[in-house]
Amino acid sequence: MPDHVMNLTVNGRKVKRPLGENYRLLDFLREELHLTGAKEGCGAGECGTCSVFVDGKLVKSCLMPTLKADGATIETVEGLAPLDSLTEVQRAFHKTGASQCGYCIPGMVMAATAALRENPEADFEEIKERLGGNICRCTGYAKIFEAVEIARDVIAGRLPQTALEPDAAAESFIGASVRRIDAPSKVTGRLKYAGDMIMPDMLHMQVLRSPHAHARIVSIDTSEAEALEGVACVITAADVPGEDGFGVFVHDQPIMARGKVRHVGEAVAAVSAESVEIARRALGLIKVEYEELPAVFDPEEAMRPGAPVIHDYAPDNLVKHIPIRKGDVEAGFAEADLIVENTYSTQQIEHAYLEPEAGLAYVDPDGVVTIHSPSQNITHHRHMLAKIINRPINKVRFIMSPVGGGFGGKEDMIYQGMLALAAMKSGRPVRLVFTREESIIASAKRHPARITYRMGLKSDGRITAVSFRMISDGGAYGMSTEGVMRKAAILAFGPYEVPNLKVDTYGIYTNNTPSGAFRSFGAMQTQFATESHLDLCAEKLGLDPFEIRRRNMMKIGSTTHTGQMLETCSMEEVLRVAEEFCRWERGAPTSRGATRSDLGGPDTRKPCTLGARFKMPEAEESKQEVA
Amino acid sequence: MFTYDSYHLPRTLREALELAATLPADGKVIAGGTDIVPYAREGRGGDVHFPVLLDVSKVAEFQGYAIENGRARLNAALPYQAFLEDPVLRENLPCMPGCAIWFADDQIREQATLAGNLVNASPAGDGAPPMMALNAEVELARLSGGEVTTRRLPLGEFITGPGRTVLEPGELVTAVICDALPGYGGSFQKVGQRRSLVISRVCAAALVKLDPTRHVFEDVRLALGGIAPVPLRLHDIEEMLRGKKITRRLVAEASVIPADRVASRTRVEYRRHVVRGFVEAAIEDALVACGAPVPSDRDREEAHA
Repeated sequence: MPDHVMNLTVNGRKVKRPLGENYRLLDFLREELHLTGAKEGCGAGECGTCSVFVDGKLVKSCLMPTLKADGATIETVEGLAPLDSLTEVQRAFHKTGASQCGYCIPGMVMAATAALRENPEADFEEIKERLGGNICRCTGYAKIFEAVEIARDVIAGRLPQTALEPDAAAESFIGASVRRIDAPSKVTGRLKYAGDMIMPDMLHMQVLRSPHAHARIVSIDTSEAEALEGVACVITAADVPGEDGFGVFVHDQPIMARGKVRHVGEAVAAVSAESVEIARRALGLIKVEYEELPAVFDPEEAMRPGAPVIHDYAPDNLVKHIPIRKGDVEAGFAEADLIVENTYSTQQIEHAYLEPEAGLAYVDPDGVVTIHSPSQNITHHRHMLAKIINRPINKVRFIMSPVGGGFGGKEDMIYQGMLALAAMKSGRPVRLVFTREESIIASAKRHPARITYRMGLKSDGRITAVSFRMISDGGAYGMSTEGVMRKAAILAFGPYEVPNLKVDTYGIYTNNTPSGAFRSFGAMQTQFATESHLDLCAEKLGLDPFEIRRRNMMKIGSTTHTGQMLETCSMEEVLRVAEEFCRWERGAPTSRGATRSDLGGPDTRKPCTLGARFKMPEAEESKQEVA
Repeated sequence: MFTYDSYHLPRTLREALELAATLPADGKVIAGGTDIVPYAREGRGGDVHFPVLLDVSKVAEFQGYAIENGRARLNAALPYQAFLEDPVLRENLPCMPGCAIWFADDQIREQATLAGNLVNASPAGDGAPPMMALNAEVELARLSGGEVTTRRLPLGEFITGPGRTVLEPGELVTAVICDALPGYGGSFQKVGQRRSLVISRVCAAALVKLDPTRHVFEDVRLALGGIAPVPLRLHDIEEMLRGKKITRRLVAEASVIPADRVASRTRVEYRRHVVRGFVEAAIEDALVACGAPVPSDRDREEAHA
């Protein structure tokens, strides 16, 4: 089948090419025709980064066997407009700032184009529905939908072409809408992310991952894999020439599992071969003998004496404990009229950036080990890798490729080391592109946390003492845990002032997927607990939730629990605006129920529904009445 | 990873049946391909290799549909998008636009077929309940002594269990034939994890016809998916409603009954809760599609009290 010749018309040009190993239309477009505007965000038809027109209908090219498209007419994002111009849709995306990381954007532009081709008069609800198969993680969709509506009205002549022009330059950039200079490269699909890059003689890497949460590696036999035709090299921890270990704070993580695996999905070996298919076949030929070890999945269990030890250097499984003390907590509780205690838990969360991890490494003619990847921390990675591969720093180069969404999840050097080793061992460029499944199994997550709150209050709502204990699941490696624990401790009590406080945050090793950086970095977990707890206290004291916050909020001149005197503070203003904006109905939480007057209203978001194309709108409206 | 050695894209029924007759046991017939390609992923099928794929989506006889004598013949390659966008199909199959809109997204609906969905025979397949409600039959063809022979089976007999049908080696589904019911109000209910593009946990389809007074159920059709190994038609509840005056109370009473039929292996309690609400909502939405007033939440609460 690989020698079957595909005959297609692509972006107006006849194309006659062998199928090769490009089994899906997406692979054929990207690998054979180098049309990399269509991306692979999930490979399962969920995300829409791969949308292309086939015979005039928009489809997900990751779901289409290549041969289904034999003889078809294909239009990709690269073919929407001539090289030096943009369509109305593309210009509108530029105008509104709809492209941020840009990875979903070629697919979004295609879906928007399809929506307006199918119905040039599509209203807001229908646009939303027609774009429903495409996911964006940066924008919250508002700017995308705004762009499609502007494009629709310009195409229909209801808005002038100038509606697509940038806003007139203002005196200041602050408060002005400034267009992103990188948007044209994103809306046209021209921008090359790491997984879009190719080099002559490039190899493809695939990674063998641990099926066990905690196991000793008895032996790894790569001989059969290495003997497979088309395989250039297989690497394991044994190939690391220097001092193995990386991490944002503690360098506890080897490039690949060394001696034992500590979580499911940990890299054990990696194959570089002439094609992804050969590399995958070779993975099946690697024999790893494991001896399973008792594993621990709950951080509180991991803290108990006798729990399985995950790292020898940390016999108590402690990554980091951050204590903060202020005033006399016991005296504060003694003074309280009411003490409220509760425990809050938050879950592990995946960043789910649309661009799965990818990288391309080579050793340049001067012997410089060079790695392109969407790393969020290239300088730190460079220093760590130099030690790991035992080369001077001027022989290690990190180039940051466009980041197709990071949100903190691309701070950890979980694959760049493998690429460097393989490029050094094979002498050839090596590319690795994670699948979505691999990205989810191997990348860091938001720390799941269990927070025990104890708060003492006077009956007027003033807080006299706080005890805050947070146990966080750091997973198998340290990564950013220390920083997250520090930030969580600093932000533990939010924007409130209390005379007596005791904060303890603990990051604990377990055999779960490692936890790492995630936007807000420890604050999300603590704010969830703090704000929920304040609502609970307001209820018990019969106070308005805004009022209890006002009585305890920081002001100019307040001192935080880490000893910082505030010279500016906007908390009062924030509360005032929030209260006004949500048309807050005053009173204790207990005083309201289904009859509260601040639910619904003209500027509230309606529940999601489908069927904008055939439902009677008035029926929908009346259904949303609040009884 | 999804790989194959050979891929056939026949253009005629005879050609397709000849290929089907010689299809090896590990070969696979596909139409849209939107289920099989993502199946070959980590965590599902892993790396899946097919020696032969037989793609029937371009067979001339499998294109389009015809409506004749109160029945609709939906040929095997008809994609889901047609139920949403074709005005004739929308009018004749009133429960199908709702099914299509919840089925996936526009891009997948352009590929995925009703016939393929029924052949997959997933207990949670979206297409089966509305087709059960429409008294669908499945037409199968094979070559026998060089001649094309066909047989027809009611959908309820075609699907025999999760992922199982009566399809025999060498046999292809050529069409789904169901009632054409212009003038009925139709609805489709579904619960899953995402608004666009999700596999049902539970789904329900309803069709309702009012008598000339518009106060009496002249006909009611109800079917549920995702609660048992095969989709279920709720004949007894239909019988309970047919010919009766339409009241909230009656609809509420009817909606309580099918919770007992939940025979899934997982989330039984959850599914029981959902089913009650779904049957009620399916009937109400179908009534609204006939022009009945929209009930308020308060009406519903009172009926249940």
